[in-house]
Amino acid sequence: MLYFVGQIFPYIAAAVFLVGMIWRVWTWLNVPVPFGLTLSPAPRTLTGKAAAFGRELALFRSLWSGDRGLWLAAWLMHVSLFMVIGGHIVGISTLGNEFTAIGLTSEQSQRVSGIMAVASGLLLFFTLTVLLYRRTAIPEVKRLSDPADYFDLMLILAVVVSGLHMRLTSIEVDIAAVRAYMGGILSFQPVPIPNEWIFISHFFLVNLLLLYFPFSKLVHLAGSMVNQAMLIASPPVYPSSMKVDSSRVQSNVQIWRGGSQQ
Amino acid sequence: MKPPMHVAKENEVASIGLPRVPKQDEQTAVLKKLDDLRSSMRSLMVMLENCTKCGNCAKQCHSYLGTEDYHNFPAARADLMRRIYKRYFTWTGRTFGRFFGADDFDADTLSKWLTYFYQCNECRRCAKFCPFGIDTAEVTIAARHILSEIGIMPKFMQGIAVNMNKTGNNMGIPQPAIVDCAEFMEDEMREETGLDIKIPIDKPNSDILYIPSSADFFTNVDTMIGAAKLFHYLGVNWTIPSTVLEAANFGLLFNLNVMREHNQRLKAAATAVGAKLVIQGECGHGWRAAKAYTDGCSAPVSFEIVHILDYCDQHLGKLPLKKLPLRATLHDPCNYARAGEIVEQPRRIMRACVENFVEMTPNRDENFCCGGGSGILMDEMMEIRMKLGKKKAEQVIALGKLDYLAMPCSICKAQIPVVMKYYGVDDLMMGGVMDLVGKAMILGEA
Repeated sequence: MLYFVGQIFPYIAAAVFLVGMIWRVWTWLNVPVPFGLTLSPAPRTLTGKAAAFGRELALFRSLWSGDRGLWLAAWLMHVSLFMVIGGHIVGISTLGNEFTAIGLTSEQSQRVSGIMAVASGLLLFFTLTVLLYRRTAIPEVKRLSDPADYFDLMLILAVVVSGLHMRLTSIEVDIAAVRAYMGGILSFQPVPIPNEWIFISHFFLVNLLLLYFPFSKLVHLAGSMVNQAMLIASPPVYPSSMKVDSSRVQSNVQIWRGGSQQ
Repeated sequence: MKPPMHVAKENEVASIGLPRVPKQDEQTAVLKKLDDLRSSMRSLMVMLENCTKCGNCAKQCHSYLGTEDYHNFPAARADLMRRIYKRYFTWTGRTFGRFFGADDFDADTLSKWLTYFYQCNECRRCAKFCPFGIDTAEVTIAARHILSEIGIMPKFMQGIAVNMNKTGNNMGIPQPAIVDCAEFMEDEMREETGLDIKIPIDKPNSDILYIPSSADFFTNVDTMIGAAKLFHYLGVNWTIPSTVLEAANFGLLFNLNVMREHNQRLKAAATAVGAKLVIQGECGHGWRAAKAYTDGCSAPVSFEIVHILDYCDQHLGKLPLKKLPLRATLHDPCNYARAGEIVEQPRRIMRACVENFVEMTPNRDENFCCGGGSGILMDEMMEIRMKLGKKKAEQVIALGKLDYLAMPCSICKAQIPVVMKYYGVDDLMMGGVMDLVGKAMILGEA
């Protein structure tokens, strides 16, 4: 069992995640956009488009102009999630010594790294809880919610709680052992998983999340970008250029009665 | 569930080439159409697969704010289609059903679609506030298209389709009547200015093809007069085609095939008179249909497409305007501000035409719809229409005493006066932006 969880399941989860996400995005991009749906005022220049895209992606501008409370919770949740993921990559690969790069001693760096990890983890826990509460507290949102909407939040919460467990309780998890294990996984020479039940559960839950990800609404990670790209596309220009002869009138547009060549 | 509007009868839908599919075949036909659309419209597929149900759109939708009906909350409205989509076109929905928000197609599905997708004004305000940019208008357009393809549509839409097939305009006005009306307006302008200002119909070899709204010949004549004076002053060679008397393209509001036919009619009319420039009159969704959809329906086209307010704005400096002593505001038609890049032009024109221009809040691309958008002008839906217009009435009332409310869109012009009266505002002049241009322009001896 531990062999499966430690040396086989991670590969299944990662493969399903990667292939699944590529497949989802491919199914979207494979469909034509017969009519432009520019949402004005639309940026005209490439820089303008990049800025609009960036504002949406990094700052959640649309939420900001709507519900500020939701914006705060959602934005902090995603930021702390980003910090947690980044922190795992950097912190584990350097064993907490990442801040020696800015002149701290190894001991200081590990201390700062640990504080930041706990702070982002707690923030993530707190914001996820707020979002979960919000889902039940606002009547129309509650009515709109499906079991999957709660499941998504709770699955991520479970990952966070099991992760924080290794930071906030007396359970000692040897980061060096974790690094050796992750190195084995990433170099396709898996070694046995560190035999610490809380780490095993944490790691297993993460893999479960990866496995689940492409089939859930969590694909909004990629979908939001595909969607926003349509809204900031430049509107058509007339007279139409004869060279780019009606790229929108594609043969696979199956809207028209009597076929698209009518 | 009984839909709130008169539904077109079987013989009526058959007469416009959209026969009713028998009850027992409905599900198969709807799913086939939905399958076609999802593989033809990226927007639909992405928007149905990416909602996280955060609920941010609820407070941004005038339809939900006005009716307080759960299914008019944009995410819930789209969910009427999303649940069916998930059930039949996603692996998770097929396997786990309700856990992932998938529902079976049942006896109530289509009446719910008919009821609620015809309470969405396709105003796109939800897209503005959705963190992913999910545009419920795209879902509404798809739902209405699917419904009409199987022969289910409001009587109102069917009637317009009949008129458009017959005459090229919504109101079914035949060519001689158009000429009569134009002459009547020419007489009016002669009386007022002493000048011979023409409204040329079907004049061959014209440089500019002007596509007004058919209502501009009857109820909104001041809009037409404003445009005619502008063209007269600029001395351009223009005409109105009797075959496409209508900027409005109701096809966009219920059936994409009908939309394409009308769009191609526009191309044919412009080609017939050799126009290099097509100017669209004051019509909101008509502007969107011409600007955004010509590419996918009739491309390539050899003419430029410009809005009358954009055209007027380009020439604003030359016009002999004398400011009218009015306190006026502007209602931004949704299809201008959110779908058509007509935002600052009407403001510049109005500032040049009236002494006191004030903004309502919110405005521009965050403005609320009038509640009539996407052709929800059925008399039998009056009660719902007033709820849809509630937010607009509140916005206008908040401005205090006004003399003029500009709403440069024929649907707004049909909806807002009724709404304002219903909410107790009786003494307010309402009309287009070109109306003001016509009134502020000093022509002839006067």
